[in-house]
Amino acid sequence: MHRKLFVAFNVLLVAAFVWSLAVDYKKDWRDIQAEYFKKTAAAYAEKAKSAKDPKEAETFNQLSKAALREPIMIRQIIAKDLNRIDRCITCHVGMDEFVNPTLTTPHKEHPFTGHPKLGEIVKNHTFQKYGCSVCHAGQGLATSVEAAHGKTENWEKPLAKGALLQASCAKCHMNFQSLKGAEMVAKGRDLFEKHGCIGCHSLHGVGGAVSVDLGNIADKPLERIAPFNLSLIKTKDGKPLPKDDWKLPAWIEAHLTNVPMSFIPNDPHAQYNKEPIAPSGMPDFTQEIKHEGADAITAYLLSMSEEENIPHKYHVIREAKPEPKFASAGDHGKFVFKKYGCAACHGLEGVAGRRNYNAMGAGQPALDDVKADKAKLHEAMAMGREPTLPDVLGTYTREELKKKIQDGVPGSQIAKYNPDGPTPPLYMPAWKDRIKGQELEDLITWLLSIAKKQESW
Amino acid sequence: MPETATPPQQNGGGFKLPDFDTLKKEVIDSQIWRSMFRGGVWKDTPRDRAAHIIGNVWLHLHPVKVRPRALHWTYTWGLGGISFMLFLILTVTGVLLMFYYRPTVDLAYRDMKDLEFAVTLGVLMRNMHRWAAQAMVVFVILHMVRVFLTGAYKKPREFNWGIGVILLTLTLFLSFTGYLLPWDQLAIWAVTVGTNMAGATPFLGNEGPFGALMGMRINNDVRFTLLGGTMVGENTLIRFYVLHCVAVPLITGILLIVHFWRVRKDSFSAAPIDPAEEKVDVWPNLVGREYIAAAGCLLAIMIWSILMNAPLEIVANPNVTPNPSKAPWYFVGLQELLVYFDPWIAGVVMPNLIIVGLMAIPYIDTNPKGIGFYSLKERPFANAMFLLGVAMWFILIYIGYYCRGPNFAWFNPWESWLNQKPAMPPTWNIFGPLEGAVPFTFKMAADIVGGRLGGLEPGVVPNLMPGWLGAIVLGGMGGFLMIGPKLIQKDIPGKTANLAFIGAMAVVAVLGKIFAGLPVMQGLWLVFFAWTGFYFGFLLPQRHIRQLEWPRYLFTMFLVLNTVAVPLKMGARLAFNVKYVLTFPTISLNI
Repeated sequence: MHRKLFVAFNVLLVAAFVWSLAVDYKKDWRDIQAEYFKKTAAAYAEKAKSAKDPKEAETFNQLSKAALREPIMIRQIIAKDLNRIDRCITCHVGMDEFVNPTLTTPHKEHPFTGHPKLGEIVKNHTFQKYGCSVCHAGQGLATSVEAAHGKTENWEKPLAKGALLQASCAKCHMNFQSLKGAEMVAKGRDLFEKHGCIGCHSLHGVGGAVSVDLGNIADKPLERIAPFNLSLIKTKDGKPLPKDDWKLPAWIEAHLTNVPMSFIPNDPHAQYNKEPIAPSGMPDFTQEIKHEGADAITAYLLSMSEEENIPHKYHVIREAKPEPKFASAGDHGKFVFKKYGCAACHGLEGVAGRRNYNAMGAGQPALDDVKADKAKLHEAMAMGREPTLPDVLGTYTREELKKKIQDGVPGSQIAKYNPDGPTPPLYMPAWKDRIKGQELEDLITWLLSIAKKQESW
Repeated sequence: MPETATPPQQNGGGFKLPDFDTLKKEVIDSQIWRSMFRGGVWKDTPRDRAAHIIGNVWLHLHPVKVRPRALHWTYTWGLGGISFMLFLILTVTGVLLMFYYRPTVDLAYRDMKDLEFAVTLGVLMRNMHRWAAQAMVVFVILHMVRVFLTGAYKKPREFNWGIGVILLTLTLFLSFTGYLLPWDQLAIWAVTVGTNMAGATPFLGNEGPFGALMGMRINNDVRFTLLGGTMVGENTLIRFYVLHCVAVPLITGILLIVHFWRVRKDSFSAAPIDPAEEKVDVWPNLVGREYIAAAGCLLAIMIWSILMNAPLEIVANPNVTPNPSKAPWYFVGLQELLVYFDPWIAGVVMPNLIIVGLMAIPYIDTNPKGIGFYSLKERPFANAMFLLGVAMWFILIYIGYYCRGPNFAWFNPWESWLNQKPAMPPTWNIFGPLEGAVPFTFKMAADIVGGRLGGLEPGVVPNLMPGWLGAIVLGGMGGFLMIGPKLIQKDIPGKTANLAFIGAMAVVAVLGKIFAGLPVMQGLWLVFFAWTGFYFGFLLPQRHIRQLEWPRYLFTMFLVLNTVAVPLKMGARLAFNVKYVLTFPTISLNI
């Protein structure tokens, strides 16, 4: 019995060791790299066949043989200045400058292709100096597909795709608004200004304080998103956000492609807390901004990183913008309205107030009718609105309006629809320290100009 | 063509391959071989087998012969040997890992990634090291349980049991120091939780009782010494690295030698001596079994490591605390105790009492029966108390590890942590100063008991009865429970007493249901926890250890009551939201 166990265990131990070696050896990147060189050799052989000049054919044959002789190994770029080691070229061999100096391959399918778009950008950012992940994000150290593309739970930054890739340009190029190739970030910045995001979210301390500062939003750790149920987020096709994508880019984008209230419901009926907590107060931008705009704004926000240790010499300074000139006081007032992000609550050019949960709003049913039904009550509370400016402005004199803008309206003074419900999340900040002098005068001039005329008796 | 058919003269007297036996003899009798291995050709005589043990540096810690009773798998289960094998696996894989690992904040995590993605067999090495470390904690505990249940710590093995207890704590400490090295979120926050408890050490910690009196601050107390800073950082990493790779393994190794030496000197097995039993040769009987256990252990760890990857979370970030942050699993039980007790009790007094209590066991257990075999009947008290302790250790770990979610709120294992939880119900104290507290009414008590107290201001803890009364009541109860069992000379009949007590508690529960609206579940909890206290804290000692002489008796009862206090306080907190039984906030004495 013991003799048999002795023999069996020894045999199994050797087998387990061989097994572990096999597991260690059998890596996807090995197959991929071998496949790449095989394909390359085949392509050269093909060229040799069709070549008319025998000398040329001989060269191609040599190249074909050389490709097959290439060792299968981990290939990496050590980007010293940027403190990165990127092993992406272990699979994407066609993008290794030493193996494939032209960076183009005849292969059509990933990961055997060369680098797409070989224009100025690639020319100015040699791979040996910059590596891959500083632009493309993902996990440069990894050599397995899932991990390298940042899909695993233990990596914060997933591969940057599509418009989001442009966020990386703006990390160094402060002049991204005039930079070729960074159009989406520039567009994101324009949209950010146009829709008044700055009214609530400051950037590095400049802007409103109603919600969080977005100056380093790209560094927000996963741990801070973890408490939210991200399965409440709906993707483009209406499905819940897949677990693979529970990362920062999807989280930022969801604020613009979903109604924020729907995936940050909080506790409006005080079921879990002593006091009711309103759902996310962020207005619903889905109709105005659409998916493409959301992509652009997300790209812009993802460039807001303070953590990345990019040496200062890599930064490109933003050019000065000319001071805008205005034909009339009204035009200036309209610009001021946009500049301070008033549109976030009062709508583009002040046309329509946005949602303010549990505030008073047009079309709300009588409280007593819906009080019993939680779903209906929630719906009615969600109909709360910020005031629609043209409707109410006419009731103010110039002095009253000035005072209102200067002092603002704190949340506690906003009339609640449901007295037992939470304090409405949006409020009018006091602007007296920010909008003053000519800006304030001209803003009021413009505001009064859009007011609906009151009936006078 | 077979060689025998070849006529020898055809080779013309040239080279001829000697047959195997001649060759073997030639080799064994050569000067080189004989200089390395004593004894000539193996003839498998008793003398040969004895010489094999005595003449071999690796085997000579064994006796030459051993009683066959000690060889039964079902006696030792090979647990001690497996623990040592795991230590060896850890040493070898650990040394290999040291070739690749640099203990600095910038590089540690990157080196983990290199091991995972670029180093040949790196994943296997790291997995084996991780899993063997976890397994070693488990097997050392199992080994201790086995030694206890077979009474193998009794005279003359008391001292070796003590060495064993120290080795157990060293095993935990080795595992704990290693926990930090990957420098991921799991690592720094588990170590933060673990080391924060040190800050609550009485006298030596800045948050512990009398700490301020001793001039302890956050930057000069015992926690600071351990961390090399006020928070887990670069200094902590290098400290833990040196402790993990050099200091603790060295001490462990030395104590292991003492441990083995004593095992050998204490005649290898505690199994009772049977004159009719004839000893058998250690080679191959024992050595073979040891090899099989070790090989099986290595095999299991290897297969496990091939199939399961060691966890590695996001890189450590001192600014982002995961919610919840948990200690390494073997300390999660102590962390769970923090829910029920103040940190200096849960994190310092309890673990020290456990260590001291374990080491004291051989000196207070004078029961001469049940040495060398498993028997619950001959040692009912010792086994019951010990198993209660072990069970509580693992139940607390289970609760802490599987039932605690964000904010350390109770989540059933199948519940998603994304579910929102109602706020914790308000807590109250039984005894404490009445000044400044919310005036407490019995209606309030009834509402708390019935789970209907919604109107209490958060943070304001009502005290039911004055603190001086609590000191008298608790002191009196403690005093009675300490000496009562010994004073009652007559043996209390076990079954009757149990039934009577459960019946009485059931009556209390029913009365509570009628007058205070006590929910049924809480009524059941009341009966269960009160009975646990009664049975282990009073009935068992009364029936089994009242004959002990006073000093031994009192020390035993002290340990018993401390053990029993844990489930009692758990019951009070989980079922009745009692924060403290007795509190004196002015001197931070909270029980």
